[in-house]
Amino acid sequence: MELELTEEQRELRDGVRRVLEAQCPPALARAVHERGETGAALWRQMGALAWPGIAIDEGLGGLGLGAVELCLVAEELGRAVAPGPFLATATQLAPLLQEAGASPLAQPLLRRIAEGALTGSVALAEDERWEPARVACRARRAGQGFVLRGRKSGVFDGATAEEIAVVARADEGLGVFLVPGGAAKATPRTLLDPTLALADLVFEDVAVPAERVVLAPGAAAERAAVRALEVATVALALATVGTCRRIFETTLDYVKLRRQYGRPIGSFQALKHRLADMVLAVERATALGYFAAATLAEDDPRRAEAAALAKAEAGDCQRLVVAEGLQLHGGLGFTWEHDLHLFLKRAKCGDALLGSAVEQRARLAHRLGLGAA
Amino acid sequence: MRLSFSAEVEAFRREFLDWLAANRPDPAEMAADPARSSAHLPGWSRRWARRLFDAGWLVPGWPPELGGRNAGPTEQLVYLEAMARAGVPRTTNPQGLGIIAPSILDYGSPDQVRDYALPILRGERAGCLGMSEPGAGSDLAALATRAEPRGDRFVISGQKVWTSGANWADFCFLFCRTDPDAPKHRGISVVLVEMDRPGVVVKPLPEIVGRDHPDLNEVFFSEVEVPASQLVGKLNDGWAMANGSLAHERGMVWLEGVLHLQNAATRLIAEARRRLPAVGEVERGVHAERIVRAWGDAQAARCLGYRGFAKLVRGGSAPEQALMKLMSSEARQRLTLVATELAGASTLDATPQLGPFSEWSPLEQYFVTFGGTISAGSSEIQRNIIAEKVLGLPRG
Repeated sequence: MELELTEEQRELRDGVRRVLEAQCPPALARAVHERGETGAALWRQMGALAWPGIAIDEGLGGLGLGAVELCLVAEELGRAVAPGPFLATATQLAPLLQEAGASPLAQPLLRRIAEGALTGSVALAEDERWEPARVACRARRAGQGFVLRGRKSGVFDGATAEEIAVVARADEGLGVFLVPGGAAKATPRTLLDPTLALADLVFEDVAVPAERVVLAPGAAAERAAVRALEVATVALALATVGTCRRIFETTLDYVKLRRQYGRPIGSFQALKHRLADMVLAVERATALGYFAAATLAEDDPRRAEAAALAKAEAGDCQRLVVAEGLQLHGGLGFTWEHDLHLFLKRAKCGDALLGSAVEQRARLAHRLGLGAA
Repeated sequence: MRLSFSAEVEAFRREFLDWLAANRPDPAEMAADPARSSAHLPGWSRRWARRLFDAGWLVPGWPPELGGRNAGPTEQLVYLEAMARAGVPRTTNPQGLGIIAPSILDYGSPDQVRDYALPILRGERAGCLGMSEPGAGSDLAALATRAEPRGDRFVISGQKVWTSGANWADFCFLFCRTDPDAPKHRGISVVLVEMDRPGVVVKPLPEIVGRDHPDLNEVFFSEVEVPASQLVGKLNDGWAMANGSLAHERGMVWLEGVLHLQNAATRLIAEARRRLPAVGEVERGVHAERIVRAWGDAQAARCLGYRGFAKLVRGGSAPEQALMKLMSSEARQRLTLVATELAGASTLDATPQLGPFSEWSPLEQYFVTFGGTISAGSSEIQRNIIAEKVLGLPRG
């Protein structure tokens, strides 16, 4: 097992970081918080650099790389607290469309995503649970097509995405249905971190013609929804780790700089040990995130387990790093003016969305045979 | 980034596994005459070391004359993996093979290589490592055992403690003070002392568990005379070797820690599946959360270790290496604690039962893990090292 980036992956990561340092400084996230800036220019730039299509086939205009590279971009976006439709479009919708294979519906959409010409999302969660097995939203057959009725919650970019793939239950099982943005009644959520956008959707008999069925209801569609969710989960896990690494680095810089009692506070052992624990938390979450990304890239049978563990670890990592980062910055980190809170809030989002550490651990307990008989 | 190694490396693994299947020590013989300390060489252990040495499977990365086959670092890794997974101990004198022999090969004279390093490698002699003292534990450089140069010899007086295997070792790789006037790091040397020299007294220190088979010892030196030719490396240059020794130790040990943890996690889960159906839903959830966490620690240690290793192989620096000892020793402690709690009141029984680690009872297994968080640089020292060497925080 070689869990280190290849030369090409390192170059990619460094390149993405350079662009984001220039185009997505904390001032951008702050502008989103304070002035409702949307980051549209950043998204255009990402499209020009072909990031949305990083894991889309070259034949469809993508870069033809894999889950590892996709997750590396997500990690850097997390590090930069980047706003915009990348997570929803490239880590949620695109992987689900890819599960549809050579579909005449999915392929043109993937081509447009790769061009940066389409934003999209996946409407899966209900009652804040990202679990395909619990989906209750109905897909009723109507002629050749379907009619959707039900509620979805916490849909990334749910009020703005141009195309939304809805996971809904028909008589034959789960299916995936594509609806244009605006087809459902969207209620945007007001988030503590507006660099992410969530909306709750209500489908009141939304008609889906046959040619907009991404995956026909049945076991294969359910499996596809699960697999695509694994990709989105690992991408968000690494995005969260990226945010945590930034908090850690900022905190480390601060304790080296801040002086009290005539010396840097980072020279006190009580703080040193906490920073050692922080770096351990960040490094182990990174390593498990990369392992999970590699299982996706190689379609290894451990991918479900690895994705759940990566997300659980990212959640634990933010738990420690957010608390210590805020505490060790003292009064400074407690102010609105300091950028720290931009990162802290994003890190919390990273745990709460797509299944928190608590939920992932419960899932792992079942997988390991520790659940109810 | 990939989940498997190259075809060449996997072929190397198969070659070793084939050899191992045909040459491994006889389990019945091992059970009948177990190693009683970390410097005890039972007959089977001596013969096993010799077979490994002669076949070039003792330290594959070394040349054939040192028991190797000039293998690369990744091959070494899969070799250690395969050995540990097969449940075969590579040596019963780990300090000898892992620290003393490499240090003598790096710093010693040709005579010392002939008389000490090679005999260790061939399973003929066992060494112990004289480092800690009553007044020098974490602060090793404060050591006071004096080796006074007197003509063509050293005269050694002082006391070591926590010396693993001193009760069985043939000789000691002894850190001692040769210049009491120099700053503390600069007056230290290493001298090889035969354990049967007059004036060497070993007093075993029975441990918190396993009272009948002590591995730790106090070692007293009173006016012990050794020839000057027993000095390893240059006079007063011992501190570099102390750092080198620990580097050898940590370089080798992480993988063992990881595989140990993984085995333990697997066994813990098997035990949990057996016990949990009998308990109520909420209680089961509390146990399950802890167990999943312990299992996750094992996966994290594995991924962290392999990631650090891959970085080193590419010639980069790897903060992971500094984290591994802390991480896996504490993870092991947490895991055994969870196992004791899963066992409920039966954890109080002195009889062996749930066995993530060995023949001990759950509570004993938990206590034993403190050996890992105390020795070879305690967890507190590891955190200092991480903070100062990896994170660049100023010394207090």
